[in-house]
Amino acid sequence: MAEQATNPIARDKSTPWLSLKMREAMEAWLFLGPTLAGFLIFFAGPLVAVVGYSLTEWNLLSQQSTYVGLKNYAHALGNNPDFWHVARNSAIFALGLVPANMALALALALALSRPFPGVIFFRTVFFAPVVTSAAAWAIVWKFLLQGEAGFVNQMLAYVGIDGPNWLREPDWAMVAVILTRVIKMVGLNMILYIAALQAIPRDYEAAARLEGANSWQIFTGITWPLLGPTTLVIMVITTIGSFKVFDHIYLMTAGGPENGTLVLAFYIYEQGFKFFDIGYASALAMIMFVIVMALTLVQLALRRRDT
Amino acid sequence: MTDRFTRRQLAVISRVCWTLALCVVAVPFIFPFLWMISSGLKSAAEIFGAPSLIPRRWQWYNYVEVFTYQPFARQYFNSLYISLSVTVLTLLFASLAGYALARMRFAGAALVGLFLVSALMVPEEVTIIPNFFLMKWLGLIDTHLPLILLPVFGPHGIVATFLMRQYFMALPKELEEAGRMDGLSRLGVWWQVALPLSKPALAAVAIITFLHSWNLFLEPLIFVSSLEKFTLPLALTNFTDPYGVPLWHLQLAATSLAVVPILIVYLIAQRQIIESFALSGVKG
Amino acid sequence: MKALTRLLAVSATALVLATPALAAELRVTIWTGNEAHLKMLNGFAESFKATRPDVTVKFETIPPGDYTQKLTFQLAGGNAPDLGWLMEDAAPTFAAANVLEDLAPTLNSTKDYDFADFSAPAMGLWQSGGKVWGVPFSTSPFVIFFNKDMFDKAGLEDPLALAAKGQWDMKTFQDAAKKLTAANGKFGFEFKDGQGYDTRIMHALMPPIRAYGGDVWANKQCGFDSPQSVAAVKQLHEMVFKDKSIVPPGEKGDYFSGNAAMTINQISRASLMPQAGFKWGIAPLPTGPGGESPVIGQAGIVVFAAGKQKKLAADFVAHMSTKAAVATASQFFPPARKSVLASDAFITSNNLIPPAQMKVVADAIAKGKVLPAHEKSPQILAAMKPRVDALWRADANVESALKAVCGAIQPLL
Repeated sequence: MAEQATNPIARDKSTPWLSLKMREAMEAWLFLGPTLAGFLIFFAGPLVAVVGYSLTEWNLLSQQSTYVGLKNYAHALGNNPDFWHVARNSAIFALGLVPANMALALALALALSRPFPGVIFFRTVFFAPVVTSAAAWAIVWKFLLQGEAGFVNQMLAYVGIDGPNWLREPDWAMVAVILTRVIKMVGLNMILYIAALQAIPRDYEAAARLEGANSWQIFTGITWPLLGPTTLVIMVITTIGSFKVFDHIYLMTAGGPENGTLVLAFYIYEQGFKFFDIGYASALAMIMFVIVMALTLVQLALRRRDT
Repeated sequence: MTDRFTRRQLAVISRVCWTLALCVVAVPFIFPFLWMISSGLKSAAEIFGAPSLIPRRWQWYNYVEVFTYQPFARQYFNSLYISLSVTVLTLLFASLAGYALARMRFAGAALVGLFLVSALMVPEEVTIIPNFFLMKWLGLIDTHLPLILLPVFGPHGIVATFLMRQYFMALPKELEEAGRMDGLSRLGVWWQVALPLSKPALAAVAIITFLHSWNLFLEPLIFVSSLEKFTLPLALTNFTDPYGVPLWHLQLAATSLAVVPILIVYLIAQRQIIESFALSGVKG
Repeated sequence: MKALTRLLAVSATALVLATPALAAELRVTIWTGNEAHLKMLNGFAESFKATRPDVTVKFETIPPGDYTQKLTFQLAGGNAPDLGWLMEDAAPTFAAANVLEDLAPTLNSTKDYDFADFSAPAMGLWQSGGKVWGVPFSTSPFVIFFNKDMFDKAGLEDPLALAAKGQWDMKTFQDAAKKLTAANGKFGFEFKDGQGYDTRIMHALMPPIRAYGGDVWANKQCGFDSPQSVAAVKQLHEMVFKDKSIVPPGEKGDYFSGNAAMTINQISRASLMPQAGFKWGIAPLPTGPGGESPVIGQAGIVVFAAGKQKKLAADFVAHMSTKAAVATASQFFPPARKSVLASDAFITSNNLIPPAQMKVVADAIAKGKVLPAHEKSPQILAAMKPRVDALWRADANVESALKAVCGAIQPLL
């Protein structure tokens, strides 16, 4: 490499017909080959195809398709109560999940960022649902949240609370899927926050204490501002993650009751594979792609600003 | 008030209060697992009876029935071999590509990087429909290949690639240059110098990839339809009576069988596993 | 030497005949994993093999909860089975998408098949314009299963006796459910498999609506908001939330384990009864202002147009639905052939159900109407579901909820 840097047109001994620079480029493409090829075939190609599909009316079962232009987009974004209901649900899901997840993650991280007896135990516990499959998690919680015979409501009854029929009432079902999802995923954000907290030099806090600041002042004055970049990243990641939720909804409520938990990822699946409407489902997929891309760009812009 | 207790006593008291509070918060994190295991050992009749963590009658037979009700052993094996294949292939391709992106100079490197990075966040729902037709065209419907190819080359594979790239970039260049001096080819340097130095990154990629594949749900749901080709998450949803009513005792016994081994591995290697996720999480 | 040549020639011919046949395997998708069912089906495969030694038939079980979905993935994914069972609500959708093969040529040319023997109402879903998209193999009416012990304890006459006197109507049904609940401390009635609020919406609403003389839809017109339908659903709503005699949403009250006094189901469920541990019987659905109106659930066997051996598959359909085969199958799956329905063999075919009660089944098949289906069934059911969910609240306004159902499904009809 040193050789190449000093003399870019030097020749390699084994392949004298190639300049070192060309040889390196060739090798790089070979190294990248499998990943790039797979990426083009299984990701980039399909992404282009989905744009094409979204311009057709295409029945999955009869396999007949006709070009319809932007009709599917008009169908979604126009005066379609179903789509806007789904958009609203997805927004509520994100707005419920993201702050709850982040607040709990930060609280747990603050409690667990410094060593004390049992700290490893608690970190292990709070992270355990992250490694559990979403399917298993949803199955168990669906079981725990059964009507009156369900465990959660039996426990609430012990303390004199008449628990709601969790997965049967649209608003409570939304609360239930958000809370169980928060418990499932909060461990990940907790770990990210712990890493960020541990990176803050101890001197800052010590200096502030000397000047007589209390814990709350230290948190608002020092810790929270320093966590800013991490908070932004976590926020974007968690928001995007909330749009990807499929298995959790599929298994816990299947979008019900009263479509109260019908979110975008599930709606796409339903339109495409249950109602055979490939064109409309593809248009929805594009809408999802645009939303996620916009969020990703925001994230990249924020990261750039930080550095 | 304060001078009744020494600072030390105060610290102990606040520590105890904190720990108690954490214990309360921990309940919804631990309890589902305990209740899952306990209910998997109850009879169908007891499961909705008065709640008790200890089954009145231990129904070990549930664990036999799980395997006779559907080809659960076969489904378990499917998940295992698919996840292992995905992990090995991802390690191979991600470390090759990551190495090229980190260490090699070629025209278009920045463009390729940007191209790949755009995939990092895209949910699989976006491309699942074209991929369905692609797999149909390749004749791979109702086989396990889509479940291997899509995670290896989809957004998850790209995440792995960037994790590897990040790690390679942080390695000191000198060792690799020494390897070149000793006459190693590029491939030789990658294999004999860079990879052995990157064990933490490889472990992290292996862990998140294995779990990602093990927990995959949408892809099996769409690509696999024969019972004996199901993977675990799909098989778990299939413990219903012939009329679609869930058989909770079997479903929870099967779920325990799917979750507990992972949890045991997690408890043994929790530090390593948590760090792997922290690494990938920062990356996105 | 001559013998040897002949032998060689014969074996060569046999080989030539057998070789293409070796590849002939018919894939049949079904949703039962029940051993008795599979044994009977494999029996059909054996007897088919007796006439066609070259053909093997492979039955593939797909879980019932996801059957139509998985079948769609197979068809759309280029992995189509040769033939398969199809539920009634999927039949028009699949026929409209041209994925089913017309069976008329094969059935009409099969010797002694007697296609006209299938009752016309039972064939309604499966033929159009002279084409036959499938042959019903199960035409199973809904009946009331009752717990005789609970009726005795409540001091009530059982539904079968009441029906014989012509007194088993919606009013009596409501009273009985209420008294049963009071006398036994268990629910009076449970919807089909406890799924009346989820996957079995139609099975919960359809029977009372028809008894009241309404319909959910007919001739492209939504009927959920007709006065008859509203009255019928109001009664159900009252039973769930006022009388508390029907198992409410989210609660358990399983009839088959003795936790509800009555339920509605098909006779295939009688197989659960020997372990139930109580005296039981089956009775017709209660009548209403609309008179007697049995409801039938149906499943057919179809050949998929994407299959590679369509003629062979059609032959197997014919083989599975001859008079003899239908008579054999009738022990599990009530027949659509008039000759079998009328036979004593059918009335005595089910060793769990006494002939007098099997008569209920035969009558219901003769007089009943199949559950409604539609080309856009999946969309209609999905549009209905959230609006019907809204119905099952204690404070729901039944009439406006049903209006909302119609508002949602009318554009699809």
